[in-house]
Amino acid sequence: MEFLGQDRREGLGRKAHSRFVLVLLILVSVLLLLSSLYSAQASVFKKAREGVMDVASPVLSLFSGPISYVNGVAGSVGDYFNVMEQNKALREENAELRQWMNEALELRETIEVYEALQGYVAPPEAQPISAFVIGESNDAFARSMIVNAGRANNVEVGQAVVDENGLVGRIVEAGGGASRVLLLTDIQSRIPVYVEGANVEGILVGNTRAQPVISFTASADDLEPEPGQRVLTSGAGGALPRGLPVGVVTGENRGDITVDLYANYARTRMVRVINYAFPVVDHVVGDEDAGDAEEADTDAAGVASELPAED
Amino acid sequence: MGYRAENLFRLLKAAAPTLLGVLGVFLLAAPVRLFEGFAPTPIIPLVIVFFWSVYGPDYLPPLSVFFIGLLQDLLTGGPLGLWPAVYLVTQFIVMSQRAYFLGREQKVVWIGFAFAALGAGLILWLVMSLMSGELLPLRFLMLQLAATAAIYPLFGAVFGELHRRVLVEV
Repeated sequence: MEFLGQDRREGLGRKAHSRFVLVLLILVSVLLLLSSLYSAQASVFKKAREGVMDVASPVLSLFSGPISYVNGVAGSVGDYFNVMEQNKALREENAELRQWMNEALELRETIEVYEALQGYVAPPEAQPISAFVIGESNDAFARSMIVNAGRANNVEVGQAVVDENGLVGRIVEAGGGASRVLLLTDIQSRIPVYVEGANVEGILVGNTRAQPVISFTASADDLEPEPGQRVLTSGAGGALPRGLPVGVVTGENRGDITVDLYANYARTRMVRVINYAFPVVDHVVGDEDAGDAEEADTDAAGVASELPAED
Repeated sequence: MGYRAENLFRLLKAAAPTLLGVLGVFLLAAPVRLFEGFAPTPIIPLVIVFFWSVYGPDYLPPLSVFFIGLLQDLLTGGPLGLWPAVYLVTQFIVMSQRAYFLGREQKVVWIGFAFAALGAGLILWLVMSLMSGELLPLRFLMLQLAATAAIYPLFGAVFGELHRRVLVEV
């Protein structure tokens, strides 16, 4: 190792020990940090982020092939050991789901009857945009993913991202062909939710732990949420559609309700970005306004896109 | 080898640590989820910054370190300037202790790296805690730093060979 450390001045930096440049750059990065604190949404920073994401997305896609193979091999080793338990659990779950399916079919029929009885106007349909996860921040505090769909696919900032289990997060940056999803566990994540059955509305706050907490803003009555109750998006603020499954209440931690997320971030591979036009509470009264309702819906698309992250 | 090719090779050698750092950043931004996400991805750029700050500061000038950190901020979605600050402060401290590390056994350097990683983690945690207004949980950070320290002997040996045989070429 005695050869190591001798200065041959062959590197990029001609001046060894350029303390001055080093200290200067430290100052520059501290200034950058301070300025990005106070103007996180500044267009220069935003453009830089989106540009880098767009440029990096082909490289990340290239990476993600072999990586997912390695992940699959490493993951399946664990699966071999508990294949019997998993099988048993899955069979039980299957039986339970079959009952739910029957109930759902029955309910669908009933609802169809009700919808036929009343002049029911269906809310605008959400249009999902499918995307693959090509990047993930493996950082202790920043929790986000990069998906390979962007503005070219109609992805916009503020839209909800779901996978087969439930809500994954929300779009915070939309580049041309890639966008960033802020996960529910990130410290900056704030999602309006309600607890099914308890009739309480609140905000789901990420804190980098696996289980985010609900901080309540309004409670209709004194019903305490109990473990096992479902947590769904409330649609308050008009950013996310109402009723997306988020997780289940697990318990209380220092006055906050902890939520076990449905999303399993270690397995999230394919997601859907929900391009949702929020319905507007406009003079849609009775049948004579049916024509206006159409118009209101198109307006709603504009309104929803103007309501990005309010946190 | 023609004159042009030789020049290109020389440039590549000079830029090798920087390119490795960029590659390390991409690994941090890729969806690596070994063992269902229980094994955190090591912060390889930190190893690179440490190694070349000790053994060849000429090969990794502060400007390279700055851009490696900036790329990491842009790709992982953190506040801009966080990782450049962490890496540059690490480089500053390590370079001031350079005389101590040079010629030491690799075991000693490894312990030095563990301390450097702990220092870098402390800065990261302090800044993020200040930003979020509460003391953030340390568990994942500690796991990631442990993973980074655990891979140091391997990467240190590989970088050592690279530096000695290819870059410096004695």
